[in-house]
Amino acid sequence: MATTRREFAKANAAAVAALTMGLPIPASASNLITNRELTDLEWNKAPCRFCGTGCSVMVATKDNQVVATHGDVKAEVNRGLNCAKGYFLSKIMYGRDRLHTPMLRMSNGKYDKNGSFAPISWEQAFDIMEEKFKSAIREHGPESVAMLGSGQWTVWEAYAASKLFKGGLRSNNLDPNARHCMASAVGGFMRTFGIDEPMGCYDDFENADAFVLWGSNMAEMHPILWSRIADRRLSFPHVELVAMSPYETRSFELADVPIIFKPQTDLIILNYIANYIIQNDKVNREFVDKHTRFALGQDDIGYGLRPEDPREKNAKGAADPNAFTDSSFDEYAKFVSRYTLDYAASETGVPKERLERLAKIYADPDTKVMSLWTMGFNQHTRGVWANNLVYNIHLLTGKISEPGNSPFSLTGQPSACGSAREVGTFSHRLPADMIVTNPEHRAKTEKIWKLPAGTIPDKNGFHAVAQSRALKDGKLKVCWTQVCNNIQAGPNTAQETLPGWRSPDTFIIVSDVYPTTSAQAADLILPSAMWVEKEGAYGNAERRTQFWHQLVTPPAEAKSDLWQLVEFSKRFTTDDIWPAELLDKAPEYKGKTLYQVLFANGQVDQFPAEQIEKGYKNNEADAFGFYIQKGLFEEYARFGRGKAHDLAPFDRYHQERGLRWPVVDGQETRWRFREGSDPYVEKGAGVQFYGHKDNRAIIFALPYEPPAESPDDEYPFWLSTGRVLEHWHTGTMTQRVPELHAAVPYAVLFMNAEDAQTLGFKRGSDVRITSRRGSIRARVETRGRVKPPKGLVFVPFFDANRLINKVTLDATDPISKQTDFKKCAVKLELVSLA
Amino acid sequence: MRILLLLLALSATAAFASETLNDPAPDGIRKGGTLADETAPPPMPAVMTPAKKPARNYPEQPPTIPHTIRNYQVDKNFNQCLVCHSRQRSPDSGAPMVSITHYWTREHQPLAAVSPRRYFCQQCHVPQHNVEPVGGGNLYKNIDAIMEASLAE
Amino acid sequence: MFKTLKHYWKLFRRPSAYIGLGTLCMGGFIAGVIFWGGFNTAMEYTNTEQFCVGCHEMKNNVYQELLPTIHYTNRSGVRAKCSDCHVPHEWTNKIARKMQASKEVWGKIFGTINTREKFLAKRRELAEREWARLKANDSLECRNCHDFEYMDFTQQSPRARQMHSTLLASGEKTCIDCHKGIAHNLPDMHGVPIGEIDHSVLEKHIARLVQDG
Repeated sequence: MATTRREFAKANAAAVAALTMGLPIPASASNLITNRELTDLEWNKAPCRFCGTGCSVMVATKDNQVVATHGDVKAEVNRGLNCAKGYFLSKIMYGRDRLHTPMLRMSNGKYDKNGSFAPISWEQAFDIMEEKFKSAIREHGPESVAMLGSGQWTVWEAYAASKLFKGGLRSNNLDPNARHCMASAVGGFMRTFGIDEPMGCYDDFENADAFVLWGSNMAEMHPILWSRIADRRLSFPHVELVAMSPYETRSFELADVPIIFKPQTDLIILNYIANYIIQNDKVNREFVDKHTRFALGQDDIGYGLRPEDPREKNAKGAADPNAFTDSSFDEYAKFVSRYTLDYAASETGVPKERLERLAKIYADPDTKVMSLWTMGFNQHTRGVWANNLVYNIHLLTGKISEPGNSPFSLTGQPSACGSAREVGTFSHRLPADMIVTNPEHRAKTEKIWKLPAGTIPDKNGFHAVAQSRALKDGKLKVCWTQVCNNIQAGPNTAQETLPGWRSPDTFIIVSDVYPTTSAQAADLILPSAMWVEKEGAYGNAERRTQFWHQLVTPPAEAKSDLWQLVEFSKRFTTDDIWPAELLDKAPEYKGKTLYQVLFANGQVDQFPAEQIEKGYKNNEADAFGFYIQKGLFEEYARFGRGKAHDLAPFDRYHQERGLRWPVVDGQETRWRFREGSDPYVEKGAGVQFYGHKDNRAIIFALPYEPPAESPDDEYPFWLSTGRVLEHWHTGTMTQRVPELHAAVPYAVLFMNAEDAQTLGFKRGSDVRITSRRGSIRARVETRGRVKPPKGLVFVPFFDANRLINKVTLDATDPISKQTDFKKCAVKLELVSLA
Repeated sequence: MRILLLLLALSATAAFASETLNDPAPDGIRKGGTLADETAPPPMPAVMTPAKKPARNYPEQPPTIPHTIRNYQVDKNFNQCLVCHSRQRSPDSGAPMVSITHYWTREHQPLAAVSPRRYFCQQCHVPQHNVEPVGGGNLYKNIDAIMEASLAE
Repeated sequence: MFKTLKHYWKLFRRPSAYIGLGTLCMGGFIAGVIFWGGFNTAMEYTNTEQFCVGCHEMKNNVYQELLPTIHYTNRSGVRAKCSDCHVPHEWTNKIARKMQASKEVWGKIFGTINTREKFLAKRRELAEREWARLKANDSLECRNCHDFEYMDFTQQSPRARQMHSTLLASGEKTCIDCHKGIAHNLPDMHGVPIGEIDHSVLEKHIARLVQDG
């Protein structure tokens, strides 16, 4: 009766085959497979690939493939939960049209700007890149080359890009797509606190008595944090939730106070609350006197449009939008006194009793309030102001840096904090909150990078929107993008982005995993590895740094962005691109490649491949011969250690479900600026906003100013754009998951049912949405999850076939240079009724 | 006549411009070489109501919703999904009971009722519309297929 | 002024000396028709959606919630307007309902529900009143369109078929017992049973069905 293992296996095979083909199973066969060798799955942790929440997922692999994922029960962020996107992570790497090989536009075997894409080798890809980079730098200087990176880069990819561009090629034209996403939040932090990123953490969710959503639709955009809010709100009846937005969203399902306000008037509500607090004597005087000071900000700062635009020419403060002067409490009180309840109600369209109820939540010293915001504040032509103004409220009442009292800037991307902000991949930044225009900061960076003084250029480079304009204007000649899809996600595509990319003067390189719209608009496509096909690190919205191991190998010729950057650096010698006077300061670098100077520099290459944890692949260590991720991380960590940005030693992150910086003496920090929690606060200080030299946070007097474009007779509707729960950004990964695609197949035009009736549209009508910049067509949805009031329409941007950013305006916050994707004016015309 | 010529010249440049913006490219979710075009939106597809529930890709996958949920109210007042899917109602309704995980707190301690952290069903469970997959489909192989392959070797 | 009034009053009281009885009766009849017609027209008008959503509390609250539902928009365009569900079609009931409704007009004039907050605060009470009314009249307004006699169970989902063929058929349950909140959002439903099923009743029915083959 003994069954040999082989027979057993054969019976199992038949059962499995029958199962997968949907056939009835013969009675002799068993549908039960118990053989451990077959059923064993290898489980490893990795942060989710999508949003800034930073959920940890467990990933099952078998035979070099990801076969299952589920929420990590050990992770504090999500405790076993994922959203629909996270639960389908298993499928994101396996779209049939995955890019497998570099491809170049060619005619007759040669590069041709208008040619068709043909597969080439990596060698050939780097040849043409080398030629284009070198000729551009030779003829037009290093300011003529650029890179657009990402808040979805791993920490070391971002760091390697920063070194290559700012330290090697000597161009500050490096910006992440986080410019479209978090730049205003950074501006807000730097102005108010002098140091970036939230003081609070996710533990605040379980401690707050009230949640105020400033525009944020967390129910869809941060579902797992929403589940923590729902848990708190529904479990404890005293807890209140205020949902604010220019249109009704799923987040209103939980709202005790729903507030629909006129676009841009959030600035009025913010100042009204401050005024209410002052008028009703609810200012925490002791806190304000001890920990804050007041400033009057520059007003009339313009809209970040091209300088010849009348809106820029007429803006008196556009030259120095970030300027501010010292002020006082009394001046501030007088400044906000015009934001009365009557004024606020009439300008915002919000009933008085709701505005008052909201103000009372903030004013009541016994109510712990968490304010939450994302793109509503950040994608705003006064985004930095909005950030400053919400901090004002928390500072006036002293409701900050303690459990439950928390102004919390949420992030959109998985490593907007980790890779874009902390690494400093913005065109004006360096690691650990340093900036390129500060000589001390440059000197410190050059020292750590072992570069001669003066290597890093002292001028801000082109930010994301400026890159598009510079490409169109012919100032930029070569641009390389990684992990972002700017043709679809950038504003004003038809007028400002696409023309520059397709201009005969430019050469565009796109590293991506699928043929995205950006890849389709490129000249050279490089196939990238993604997520667990490489070792990585992400930093989430609560300062939590999380690592993962490489679990599977990338398909065919696909390579990680890290490999691409580092391998490409071998193509340049210092003699090629550094001026003689710079080389004279570091004669030892003469004739060396940028790879030798930046990566095999005795620091980055100091950890041998043997230090990689047993059992894990590492394609980059195989290629370069050392544990490059660890080397880059440890060199990068030197910037922050001792500067309130401390990171733990590399290896520890592979053991932990992430740690929140500053990590000092092995301990993470939950509430910054608070004694007892933050080791950087001096004994006896209680609270210390040490980002500014005087240890004070700044309360800013800033007015309401109108948006760059508002509806008028010709373009009578507001257009707002954004995401949906099921799709991540431009949908390139999530749309290739059949279940997520079937859940939300196409972008539709969400509009008010009565507006539709008035215009003679029906649900499902094909409608053209036109702005002064371009138009697209979409189907009308009058009963969707987004419920706009009259006069406003909403279109998500995930759908490559509905490029809504052809319609949007490239107006930015003049301080942060972040685009306002939430407000422009459009008209709607019927194409066909059904 | 001059105006006509001018118009002709202008339309020629426009055509040239959009042609350049529409340089050939591989098909993605969008068809290659159409970036400058205004594409027609496909009709809004219907929600699928399969007679048989679709198999899960792996045990941890939240099942998709095999019926329409038009106007289902799930808010702080009421949860329509639980009218059929709650433990108490599932025998009568014939709808699958929400899984045990839905009763857990953050500390994995079961509660007497469905945990509020799982209250909003559509965070994980989504209905399916009748559409073809994009990008030529997905080559993900589930564990059954992989076990089958390793057995066949 | 007073004199004139007095004069007309006298004229009104005095038996007719100028008009023939037939003319008088005929005139009275015609006036009656006009008056009655006017009354009914006016009442008809109060049944229109235009009238109902003339008040902000209707337009901004319940009407907005109706718009996306299947009772407002659907495949064939047959739709229910406010009065179809909320006003009895039969005359005496209709008048009774109209008398009740005048309370809502009172509420409108004196601002009982002039904000969303006040509406939400009263919503449970308002909903309960409608549930009770429909329960009492055996969901009459539902049945004006959804007639049990003409339901084709083979076109219904198995679950609906099971419920309708047992509980609804026997009169144990009426439409509103299960179908609450079909055209408007529900209030806070804590403590409200939705289609709560009495197991003994269900089992009895199933047993009988099995017996009947």
